[in-house]
Amino acid sequence: MTGATAAADAAFIRCTRLTKVFRRGDTEIVPLRDLDLEIPRGAFVSLMGPSGSGKTTLLNLLAGLDGATRGELWIDGQELSRLSRDQLARWRAKSVGIIFQSYNLVPVLTAYENVELPLLLHDLSRRERHERTMAALETVSLVDRASHFPRQLSGGQEQRVAIARAIVADPPLLLADEPTGDLDRVSADLVLDLLGRLHRERGRTIVMVTHDPLAAARAPLKLHLDKGALESTRVDSVSMEGARTAAGEVAP
Amino acid sequence: MILLRTAALSLRMLARSRVRAALAVAGIAVAVFILCAERAVHSGIVEATAANERDTRLIVYRANRFCPFTSRLPERYADEVASIEGVKSAVPMQIVVSNCRASLDVVVFRGVRAADAARGIAARVRFVEGSLDAFLARGDGALVGSALAARRGLKPGDRLSAAGITVTVAGIVDADGPQDRNACFVQLPFLQAAAGGVQGGEVTQLEVEVADPAKLREVATLIDARFATDLAPTTTRPEKAFVARAAADLVAIAEFAGFLGVGALLAIFALVANAIVLSLEHRTRELAVLQSVGFPGKALAFGIVVESSALAFVGAVVGAGAASLVLGLGRFSLGAEGVLVEFRPSGVTAAASVALALAVGIAAGLIPAIAASRKAIVEGLRAA
Ligand SMILES: Nc1ncnc2c1ncn2[C@@H]1O[C@H](COP(=O)(O)OP(=O)(O)OP(=O)(O)O)[C@@H](O)[C@H]1O
Ligand SMILES: [Mg+2]
Repeated sequence: MTGATAAADAAFIRCTRLTKVFRRGDTEIVPLRDLDLEIPRGAFVSLMGPSGSGKTTLLNLLAGLDGATRGELWIDGQELSRLSRDQLARWRAKSVGIIFQSYNLVPVLTAYENVELPLLLHDLSRRERHERTMAALETVSLVDRASHFPRQLSGGQEQRVAIARAIVADPPLLLADEPTGDLDRVSADLVLDLLGRLHRERGRTIVMVTHDPLAAARAPLKLHLDKGALESTRVDSVSMEGARTAAGEVAP
Repeated sequence: MILLRTAALSLRMLARSRVRAALAVAGIAVAVFILCAERAVHSGIVEATAANERDTRLIVYRANRFCPFTSRLPERYADEVASIEGVKSAVPMQIVVSNCRASLDVVVFRGVRAADAARGIAARVRFVEGSLDAFLARGDGALVGSALAARRGLKPGDRLSAAGITVTVAGIVDADGPQDRNACFVQLPFLQAAAGGVQGGEVTQLEVEVADPAKLREVATLIDARFATDLAPTTTRPEKAFVARAAADLVAIAEFAGFLGVGALLAIFALVANAIVLSLEHRTRELAVLQSVGFPGKALAFGIVVESSALAFVGAVVGAGAASLVLGLGRFSLGAEGVLVEFRPSGVTAAASVALALAVGIAAGLIPAIAASRKAIVEGLRAA
């Protein structure tokens, strides 16, 4: 792996021989096997693959929500497996925003309070929290829904609140697991527009799992996961805006 | 900082789940109410029956008689007792009760001679209303203990009827002991005439004050020895021991009520644990989401314990408050065989109950909190 050091410096996310094994009694499920992957800073990557191919599993590893069985996972110069559960929580609070297919808003909290949640973990005054929360709601065009509870919002609006929550603390990395999976075309396009803007205008690194080819088409970088390995990688370098090409090496 | 903010968040989320919170609080309040009531019974029994080294009062009763209906002593015994070494005063007293068995609304008439009322009784009570003169001025006058007056809503000039006897309230008196606080003092000749069945010159008991509390038992022995061969032999006991014997049924009931207290504590534990476990069950995903946002498991566990303590605390304050109100307004006292045990609210008991409930609330929340915070986040995210 000559020249790997240089690549590692440039890569925002780097997995080497990343493996995840689930054990259920005697059966072993290996959704990820010896995965090698590099994603540059500021990339917008779509991750596709058949059901059960390990997309969610990979995203959970990237988010530090689950630990790898083997291999290394570096994100922004931090090897995640060396962090304790508490350190991972702290790392998540400042480094990752997660967007789920089912929105996962806290039902008893208003849109505003849901968006404010990550800021409670930062040393900010109430005023600063308010400004940032309103700015995030502004970004997703839901300022007028701030005091609504999730059940009073449409699915598309809920997902936009979830996006506001993911970006409010300004994390460099956004992870989205089928963010448009439950949405109609119009709402889905709104969400995808948002993600595209966050990538283009704010330089966020985004990894988005999707089954929707139209959604995947929005991402300049497309990865295809199958049977625990990246089977194909297509790089649309035109829209990479000068970022090093890189991205996903096919596992041998 | 994160801990405090998580705690505040937990409380806000709890407040938003009103039905769940209200049900838990109501259950805990009932349990704490029972706990406070049981503690009041317990402390009432202790107050009435537990001897201490400052006690100076002896009750002289007819030997082998156990009820004011059957105990008979010659009134003249009082003078003989008064001459015994170590005796400060001896008051012959006629006791008539409206109900000899265990009852919540007993009126105990205590007939005393005018001279004894002026010295012995006046010395051990404090006048809240009315006066000794007013009492002595009329034959059917009565000095009513503060607890009885409160229970029956009596004030000077009112008439009180019980056990076929009607008296006129001449004064309200407060006292240190539950017997006097619940008594209705009347003049001895009036009571002897009104009660019937009692020979003139006979009383139910003598109440003896000794000079030195250390000699209480010694003096009791001297008194019984004096009358051992007389027509009416006596049994003399310290007042607390006398009450303990007469109220033995009540003491047994109170001991049983102690189980209720323990049960109430267990109920609080079960209610809090139930409220928390149930709510956590359908908040598994919520907790996982909060962790995915970056909340540390420890902070969330702390938030859960804050939540369970808040439920227990609010429930306990409501329950203890209600108990204090009911006990305070009701001024309950349970009488049996002419002795009374009061169930009074106490700030100490209420505070202790709240503290106890809080401790139980923390304990009940702790294990579910730790378990919930240790659960794998990805499992939680998959939960419904
Ligand atoms: N906690 C677990 N225990 C056991 N097996 C698991 C666990 N999580 C995932 N798996 C298995 O790992 C494999 C990959 O799952 P994963 O959820 O990553 O797939 P996916 O690509 O996200 O699929 P989909 O497109 O349906 O969401 C599946 O076979 C799944 O059953
Ligand atoms: Mg998935």
